[in-house]
Amino acid sequence: MLKSWKLKEVVLMSLFSVVFGIVYLLFLHVGNIWAGFIGPVAYEWIFGIWFIVSIICMYIIRKPGAAVISETIAAAIEVLLGNAVGPRLILAGIIQGLGAEAAFAATRYRRFDIWVLMLAGVGASVFSFIYGYFLGGFTVFSTGYVLLMLGIRIASGAVIAGIGGKAVVDGLLATGSLRGYPITRAKKGEARA
Amino acid sequence: MKSALHNMNPAAKFIVVTICMLTMAFFFNPWTPLLMWIGVLLIQLLFSRIDWKVWILFMIPFVIMAFGYFWTTLVFAEDKSGPVVLSIWSINITEVQMNHALSLSFRVLAFSGLSLLFALTTNPVSFILSLMQQMKLSPKIAYSILVGYQFLPVLKDEFVQIQQAHRLRGAIQEKNAIHRLLHMRKILLPMLAGAVRKAERAAFAMEARGFTGEKRTSFYKVIRVGRLDGYLVGLFMLLLIISCTSVLYIN
Repeated sequence: MLKSWKLKEVVLMSLFSVVFGIVYLLFLHVGNIWAGFIGPVAYEWIFGIWFIVSIICMYIIRKPGAAVISETIAAAIEVLLGNAVGPRLILAGIIQGLGAEAAFAATRYRRFDIWVLMLAGVGASVFSFIYGYFLGGFTVFSTGYVLLMLGIRIASGAVIAGIGGKAVVDGLLATGSLRGYPITRAKKGEARA
Repeated sequence: MKSALHNMNPAAKFIVVTICMLTMAFFFNPWTPLLMWIGVLLIQLLFSRIDWKVWILFMIPFVIMAFGYFWTTLVFAEDKSGPVVLSIWSINITEVQMNHALSLSFRVLAFSGLSLLFALTTNPVSFILSLMQQMKLSPKIAYSILVGYQFLPVLKDEFVQIQQAHRLRGAIQEKNAIHRLLHMRKILLPMLAGAVRKAERAAFAMEARGFTGEKRTSFYKVIRVGRLDGYLVGLFMLLLIISCTSVLYIN
């Protein structure tokens, strides 16, 4: 799978992961304090921010695996930065990445419009919720509360990760720094998207 | 003795810590996570030289979070059976509810204890090298992660510079939280554009020096698996078994 990847694309994912790794950690600390006062539901509405890197990287690089690899690298970098959530973040990253990847794989990596990006956000939300349900022991909460959490997370994934991710990349595209990446070629209509 | 955890193979430590966490997810009694947390503390006391001040600082937010889990579980519990053990403002709390709430909050503590054990005793660079050498992580990804890691201080400086540049040109500091969140885009975009250029330059430099990203068998810095790792893995497994079987002998 990695054979078709250029080195600069992998390094790009890694550097994006560092930028978002910092953002993620910031949100993690805010979320932690929040969660103390209003419980685990506090995380849900900002959860989309954690999926954004996979959507951004897939939107730019457009190769199978971009979502899951970038999210995993982002998680690994978060662990390297030294935070207290630790190694289980890597597992969470892989699962979130797989969720986003599933949406792109369902369209066979051909469509990258806003709907698919939002679907990827939803996919990441659902996958990560299943993981969180298991690890966080949500089984003890009442069904209504769990459904509320899931609903907020899906909305957050679609809006923050899907729409927000697209907004960030479109802004970046306008700066012209993405020349030489599949997204620019696709916009010109040279390459298969 | 005091440096055992610091010398442990990072990949082995990673796997052991992950196994312990995943196993905790199957238990809904207060004792298993509590014993796990205490055990992890003891192991750290005996086999590491960590700075306990830093440890406490990191632990504080998780204690707050554990409290959040505690009261949420009490209020939004699914299973409200069993005898009533406590009642506050005419809300009755049953034994099952209490156990679940304590279990989930201790689980948060056990998770953060395990994570801190990993974070405070592991060298980040050796961790990635170990993932590559012991767990067959592709060198292309491993070295790219290390490149990103090395760029961290540069990106931090850049973040401050962009903020200062904005202020110099009289960009208004937003007070409203939502506006501030939208304002983040103005800092994020230049940072990402800079990151794209840095990535290209770094990748060129790596390729110019003959980096192909192929699997290799010899390394400059070798991370080994030794007897010490066996002992420590055994110790963690023992702790895991003790805490998982605690239900059988407590009560």
